[in-house]
Amino acid sequence: MTRKLWVGLLAAGAIGAMAAGMVGNVQAGSDDTVTLTVGLTQDIDSPNVTVGYTVAAYEFWNLQYATLTDKAAADFAIIPGLAESWEGSDDGLTYTYTLREGLKWSDGEPLTADDVVFTVNTSRDQGWFNHSSVTANLTATAIDERTVEITSAVPDPKLPTMDVYILPEHIWAGPAADDITTYDALEGVGSGPFTLQEWKPGQEWIVEANPNYWQGEPAIDQIVFRLYTEGGAMVAALENGELDAANDIPAELFEGLASDDIVTVAGAQGGFTELAMNGMAGGLGDGHPALQDLDVRHAVAMAIDRDALFERVALGIGLPLTVLGVSPLQEWLPEIPEDQQLNYDPAAANALLDAGGYLDTDGDGVREMPDGGQSLTFRYAERSEGTQGPAVRELITGWLTEVGIATEVSVFDDSQLGTAIGAGEYDLFVWGWTPFVDPDPMLSYFTCAQLTTDIESLGYNDANWCSEEYDALYEQQNQELDRDKRIEIVHEMITLFHNESTYVVLYHDADTQAYRTDRFEGWLQQPADTGPVIFTNSSPTYFNLTPIDGGGGDDGGMSTGVLIAIIAAVLVVVVGGGLLVMRSRAGREERE
Amino acid sequence: MRAGFVIRKVLGAFSTLAFVVVFNFFLFRVVNPNPVDSMFRGRNLTREQLDEITRKFNLDGSKWDQFVGYVQQLARGDLGLSFKGNRPVSTVIGEALWPTVLLVGTSTVLSMIGITIGYRAGWRRGSRFDTASTSFSMITYSMPEFWVGMVFLGFFSAKLGWFPVGGLEDPGSNASGFAKYLDQLHHMVLPATVLAIAYIGEYMIVARSSMIETLREDYLQLARAKGMRDEEVRRRHAVPNARLPVVSLSAINFGFIFSGAIAVEAIFSWPGIGQATYLAIRGPDLPMLQGLFLLISATVIVANLIADLLYGKLDPRVLGR
Repeated sequence: MTRKLWVGLLAAGAIGAMAAGMVGNVQAGSDDTVTLTVGLTQDIDSPNVTVGYTVAAYEFWNLQYATLTDKAAADFAIIPGLAESWEGSDDGLTYTYTLREGLKWSDGEPLTADDVVFTVNTSRDQGWFNHSSVTANLTATAIDERTVEITSAVPDPKLPTMDVYILPEHIWAGPAADDITTYDALEGVGSGPFTLQEWKPGQEWIVEANPNYWQGEPAIDQIVFRLYTEGGAMVAALENGELDAANDIPAELFEGLASDDIVTVAGAQGGFTELAMNGMAGGLGDGHPALQDLDVRHAVAMAIDRDALFERVALGIGLPLTVLGVSPLQEWLPEIPEDQQLNYDPAAANALLDAGGYLDTDGDGVREMPDGGQSLTFRYAERSEGTQGPAVRELITGWLTEVGIATEVSVFDDSQLGTAIGAGEYDLFVWGWTPFVDPDPMLSYFTCAQLTTDIESLGYNDANWCSEEYDALYEQQNQELDRDKRIEIVHEMITLFHNESTYVVLYHDADTQAYRTDRFEGWLQQPADTGPVIFTNSSPTYFNLTPIDGGGGDDGGMSTGVLIAIIAAVLVVVVGGGLLVMRSRAGREERE
Repeated sequence: MRAGFVIRKVLGAFSTLAFVVVFNFFLFRVVNPNPVDSMFRGRNLTREQLDEITRKFNLDGSKWDQFVGYVQQLARGDLGLSFKGNRPVSTVIGEALWPTVLLVGTSTVLSMIGITIGYRAGWRRGSRFDTASTSFSMITYSMPEFWVGMVFLGFFSAKLGWFPVGGLEDPGSNASGFAKYLDQLHHMVLPATVLAIAYIGEYMIVARSSMIETLREDYLQLARAKGMRDEEVRRRHAVPNARLPVVSLSAINFGFIFSGAIAVEAIFSWPGIGQATYLAIRGPDLPMLQGLFLLISATVIVANLIADLLYGKLDPRVLGR
């Protein structure tokens, strides 16, 4: 009996401790720090800007590091940042930037031209991961404390935009002299609106307001970015007020989420999903010979009902666009003329294949090559990552059957698929890309130089397609300093690429986000109307947010008194009942 | 206990571990020959930068060279660098270890009440108590953890708001000492309960069936004939003999304390080993996966070794085998 009593007491103790935990929790959180809490499903991989690459890490750097030139929330237009003005040379190769007066790092040290010179030149020399695509051809020279001259070795249409994170030399010079990639970068010194306070890997990261930010101190004291492994849990936290905003909401929970307190945003950033066909244009591989015939590629494109895919697979979230997404800014995307759109038309697709001599000579329902040999059976590589693969495959392979094309499906994880694509051992695959603000990187992927000719070094050109005309246009846009003319060239390139149909762009994806309206106001979409509110290109939302007076201190939970009563009742029932049962049973056993 | 027995068991454990090291290495490389290219797809990096990353993660050279490098590294107690963020694998695992031990340890201890229930149910086989507790165990045992987790989360967190939705502590909490402990307890209630519910049935079923096996033994008859009370017969004669399968189950489960609970940790965003495994698979982060698998295998092997040695202690007949 005494042992049972001990067990009972221990159990009561455990439950009591948990109960105390509940109460303690309800009472906590009553100080006056203004905290914004954001839910996300991906952690920072590294706070070190020369190492990290997750989207979450970019969000953090956007907050901690200001850039020389900033991007307007509405349209990414170049606006002053750390530099209040700049002037270009006649040849367009050199720009002279004038820094604002009295700039300071968050630790109080002055921010000078030397910091810019350090960042630009060292990142170029050491090939820093996230800097070098901008700084590879640049040389920076300090004229005086507030003036820095940046010269490009080649004409660069991206200038005068200088959207690289400027790092504090007094912190980073040491690590840079050593191996910069081993630096933990937890010091939290920056020039942006918020700087790192603490990073708890796998749990959360917290940034605090930078009193020295050049636009002034933010209205929010701190932002907690909270990691959820499961999207459904994150949505629950947003609904019960634990979160003020959430990124990357599962599509199936997105539609019903909007309410009086919650606004949902499907923020397009130019990302898209495509069906690629192996063009066998000089890369490695053994793609199906029929796909080298433009008519067959057009027939495949017309066999696919992209509107249905957008509605049924993407659940209507995003944009029903069918051109290559090269930038979040819609102005870079051309209108494809009506007669070239390759819209869903299985009859026309069948007619095109018939005319090309691809007939079903053996009556098995699948067409053969014009010489009557190989059948039109395409290897379809499906991506195991992501949630849309099976649904897309089911629809597309079904539509292809209707035009006499058979498919053999294999499923790959991303790295296997990357290797299979590099080796050209596929006919069709479905995958996607997300572009940068400048269209150049995305456009570069389809140049001949990016074909994979050595499996040890994969190129980006995963459609195995290349054209001299496209390459010539690419070079032209890459050096065209007049923006309107450049846009025209890019339109021409995208139209050309669309009409070649090695990529059939299925739809443009969107970031699914939501925010609560009861505690903060000032949420900004970047770009305006179509973009997301957080995890945008330069994330201007956070500085723009202000707390709503008297807004939502209550988290919707129950009062402490009620809780204590419930816990006490549970305790009495569990412990008392348990002891009673044990006693009566002991009695019975003795009688047996 | 005979020295030969102990040595045999320890050597067996070591050779299993060695096999795991080799197997681990090649398993992940077969699955994923060169992860760098796919990880950095669309990152606008030059070939030189990608090659540099490949070198840094020891992914260049032949498989054999990579393997030798890996074993040398292991011998130094170095698990390598995680692909994500360049942090040492041992550091990342170290951070995840305590939350997992706390959560899975607590629920393992809580669920051991299933042993007592199982013994009693088996002892009075066919009674109402037996039927009720066996049905309960079968139901909880067959309910998937992630499902129970989602239901609990939806009801107690999202609907009633009694418990936080996930995590180890409140967002942005800088509590310390007792307040921190209470905060963690509050966050642990739901996941620990879900896990305990899942484990309890297992213990109960094993304990019950091993008790039923001992019921047929003659020595129980003898004990009763001596006039011992039923309660005493059960405690002194039946339970000690029914203990063996339960000991091995407990030992293995304690081994899993370090491997975490992938489904429950993922649902409750619990920053433990299970979540780390889940994230590493999503990467895929080869060095992390290798490190985690090694840790998990090693703890299970050690737990088994302990169970084997305990067996020898509990049942001297084992020593002779």
